[in-house]
Amino acid sequence: MSAATQLYVSTLVVYFFVNAIACWGLDLQFGVTGVLNFAFVVFQAAGAYAVALFSLGPASTSGGFQRYVGGYDLPFPIPLVGAMLVGAALAAVIGWVGLRRLRADYQAMIMLVVSVVATLIANSEIGLVNGPAGLSLIPRPLAGVLNLAPARYSWFFAGLCGLLCAGVGFVCWRLEYSPYGRMLRGVRENEQAVEALGRSARRARMQVFILGGAFAALSGALLAEFVTAWAPNGWEYPETFVFFTAVIVGGRGSLWGVALGAAVVAVGVQQAVQYLPIGSDPTVLASVEWIITGVVTLAFIWFRPQGLIPERRRRFRMMPGLREDPHAGLLEEVA
Amino acid sequence: MSTLISAIGFGCVTAAILAIAAVGFTLQFSVSNVLNLAFGSVMTTCGFVAYALNSHGINIWICVVIAAGAGGLLSLGLNSLLYGPFIRHGTNLFGMVIVTIATALIIDRTTQAIVGPGFFSYVVGSSQAVRFADFVLTPEQIATIVLALAAMGTIHWLLRYTRMGKSMRALASNVSLARACGIPTRRVANIAWVTSGLLGGVAGVLLFIDTTTFSATSGSGFLIVVIAAAVVGGIGSPYGAMAGAFLVGVTSEVAAAYWNPELKDVVAFGLLAAILLVRPKGIFAEIATEKEVVG
Repeated sequence: MSAATQLYVSTLVVYFFVNAIACWGLDLQFGVTGVLNFAFVVFQAAGAYAVALFSLGPASTSGGFQRYVGGYDLPFPIPLVGAMLVGAALAAVIGWVGLRRLRADYQAMIMLVVSVVATLIANSEIGLVNGPAGLSLIPRPLAGVLNLAPARYSWFFAGLCGLLCAGVGFVCWRLEYSPYGRMLRGVRENEQAVEALGRSARRARMQVFILGGAFAALSGALLAEFVTAWAPNGWEYPETFVFFTAVIVGGRGSLWGVALGAAVVAVGVQQAVQYLPIGSDPTVLASVEWIITGVVTLAFIWFRPQGLIPERRRRFRMMPGLREDPHAGLLEEVA
Repeated sequence: MSTLISAIGFGCVTAAILAIAAVGFTLQFSVSNVLNLAFGSVMTTCGFVAYALNSHGINIWICVVIAAGAGGLLSLGLNSLLYGPFIRHGTNLFGMVIVTIATALIIDRTTQAIVGPGFFSYVVGSSQAVRFADFVLTPEQIATIVLALAAMGTIHWLLRYTRMGKSMRALASNVSLARACGIPTRRVANIAWVTSGLLGGVAGVLLFIDTTTFSATSGSGFLIVVIAAAVVGGIGSPYGAMAGAFLVGVTSEVAAAYWNPELKDVVAFGLLAAILLVRPKGIFAEIATEKEVVG
């Protein structure tokens, strides 16, 4: 492969891993627990801005062409960790107001409002994160230390994203296929039953809201470091919808399905639109991309609501030998 | 003092538009229980219908009437050709939210692909400001307030004094019971959708007259403020929506006069957050329990 092809392919690989991290985070909230977080992209943006502020250094060092608060020059893993913490903290605050005892679509509306407010603030408070122009020249991690050619560095970054993606996938897998995960699915299926069994549905929602927020922030942080820039027009509220489409297309509640959805929708559709014979007018291209995303969503909800790789329906039976004592509560999964 | 009074004047105009839209949004929601996030797209589409007529020299107020009709039709079409089939197909409350937001995206972006990314404005005729005590308003702004009052009066009459209104309120509080009492639920829901579309059409054109410029995504942007007003009042309650619209409209314009005008919507949403912390279901919470969707 030529260097240009290498760069292109490795970029797609990075996009895939970043989107898979985000989609798993959203799936934990929407697919598994049933929280309609229409502000998901806000947490991605929070991570992106956080990683920028933790690695750009003081605003004066780059000639002061962009204005922002704070500005630290921290070494490699700290900005990423910080970004995740910022995402989790923001989720805790927004969840505290937004996830009150309301029905699910009511919460969805609040989240939509949150998403718009966040973009409004980022756009109009210029001193915060440089307003509509956004932040640029975000340093790439270890670029100075490794000193690689662009294509090689891009592959290194893809590897880093792959590692983190695997980590997130592992955490999601451990969580979702555990008694805790069963409780989360219970919140989605029958909230009253979960409450009757002594678990707080609200607390469960809050927990996945925070964890999903941290994963969203991680994906945003990686994306911002990779493209080295981040601006408000990249995270307007419809962007969340792309992740929702990916989760629905792949199969909500199914880890492999969601990863497939991330590849097909978040990476595939975007690339495919460029090869359509509809000219090169950027407005038309962008519009067509959104229209395709919308139509694909409607088609899947109509024809295949369970997604490409459906969530496995799990059955349980009492452990053999324990039938005499139904209160032992030891269940065994039936394949 | 005069700053405050003129800000309240502008606030009343914003509140008038918001009230028309929020009542349309919330009335349909209370009756059919479908959260129609494509309501803003209906507003935009009507705005562009009015624009097409207006640019052929038709008076803007006639355009408002035609846009209202277009809104009613579009809204009915959305329900009977898209949402209704999805509900009868078995899509649940969750799914319907996604369906409506997908619809909103499709309508908005199709409009954008047709009209392009630019901004448009109407030809409105004379704009000689009228002084009324300390209020300084244009004739269009006064017409907007009058139209809103008329619309609110009509909705109040519809809900309180007609059989149809009574049926709508019955559907809003208990769908199965309403059906058991022999109310033709689907027809009542369809009429609620038409009413919502009519109000959306009027609100769309009035909004674009008021903001002077608009684009293919203006309606969906405004929908968020509409939602804030409806939620502040207590979603599903038309009277709550009126109160919420007034509160949000006036607060945001007063904030715009004294603070950063770009952040006036943030003030509206801050109000929303504050009210939700005190009353999680809004001021006039009538219905906020899990209910069946009507297709």
